[in-house]
Amino acid sequence: MGGEEAKNTTGQVLGAEDWMAFTEICRVCRIEAGAVHELAELGVIAPRGSAPEEWEFPATALPTLRIAARLMRDLGVNASGAALAVELLGVQHALERQIRRLERLTAAQG
Amino acid sequence: MEFRDYYKILGVQRTATAEEVKTSYRRLARKFHPDVSKEKNAEERFKEVQEAYEVLKDPEKRAAYDQLGSEWKSGQQFRPPPDWGSGYEFSGGGPRAGRAQRRGGAVPDEEAYAEEGFSDFFSSLFGGGTPFGGAARRGGRDHHARIDIGLEQAFHGTTSNLELKRPELKADGTLEVRVHTVRVTIPPGVADGQLIRLAGQGEPAADGGRAGDLYLEARILPHRLYQLDGRDVTLTLPVAPWEAALGASVTVPTLGGPVDMHIPSGAQSGQKLRLRGRGLPGKPAGDQYVQLKVVLPPATSADAKAVYEEMRAKLDFNPRADLTG
Repeated sequence: MGGEEAKNTTGQVLGAEDWMAFTEICRVCRIEAGAVHELAELGVIAPRGSAPEEWEFPATALPTLRIAARLMRDLGVNASGAALAVELLGVQHALERQIRRLERLTAAQG
Repeated sequence: MEFRDYYKILGVQRTATAEEVKTSYRRLARKFHPDVSKEKNAEERFKEVQEAYEVLKDPEKRAAYDQLGSEWKSGQQFRPPPDWGSGYEFSGGGPRAGRAQRRGGAVPDEEAYAEEGFSDFFSSLFGGGTPFGGAARRGGRDHHARIDIGLEQAFHGTTSNLELKRPELKADGTLEVRVHTVRVTIPPGVADGQLIRLAGQGEPAADGGRAGDLYLEARILPHRLYQLDGRDVTLTLPVAPWEAALGASVTVPTLGGPVDMHIPSGAQSGQKLRLRGRGLPGKPAGDQYVQLKVVLPPATSADAKAVYEEMRAKLDFNPRADLTG
């Protein structure tokens, strides 16, 4: 395989203060505009802007939107199913964190 | 490169119908989807399953793959035959008009399965430069990758070398996988799951278009001391019974270095104390929570036993009072 060196690159950390246009978020998440619209209506993501054409999304919505897009694309889930799955995944992760906290608290002395 | 037995990967016979292939794919996709699976190597297995289905669901690709014969075994060294793909009507050109399959509003399959996720085996048979490959698009695709970093690295910031493999079309029309090294500086305060954008580091553009971006998803590795929740961290702090009962000033580790913390008198096991701003940096910075864990000294020496006996005699204390009556 051939190889090449690249220069130093400083990554831009995308935070809550970064907003992305509708078309950009569709491209990055590989999701159609219609699906984004549905997921916004279902409350999975919260855009700003009065009309869908003007919608912008916080960059912090990207991970959630990417998961929803993958579930829809890979498992044939519709928007409602993806919204439910994303919500339940959030609950699951929170419970797993709580379990780990409790396990640390109750771990037997070494 | 190594041969891939797509039928074996999907767990179907070579004579399986399209419906049987689809049923098996759906079952395995659900089992190994990395967003919901707890299986070992789920992501790798899912990519294998996706790749196998990409070929076996398409009558033309399946027919071409079947021509390789049934004697090949997974893992065997393989090279496409010289006349690979000849005899198929589709050659060169762009995506097949009218064959895009849309599911639930997601991007059509031809675009969803970026070649970055598929094996060299797939690329050599069905990638660019073969009769099955699509035309190079104007404007490169965005690429996505994951970067694992330690909690201390997330706190302080870090520099990492990323090696990304990218299939590129050579002048003679064959594919070559090139390793592209990107040295990334990650600023302090990146949270778990947060995205980092590297402009122009995605797929190169063809014919003057804009190169895609590279999006890195930061995954913060588990830490032996701290538990991360957003930008907040929680530390379980062992304390002696007298420290909890009487109060004490103790030294507590934080990501930014040790700090002194006051334990109020009458503290109990499980109680949480907060150190503001001691979590991951940000606007606002996260906090560190210290969860107290009262640890009893062992009653192994005569003196220790004597202390416990005195406590039993002098303290009117029944921890199970609420359980009776």
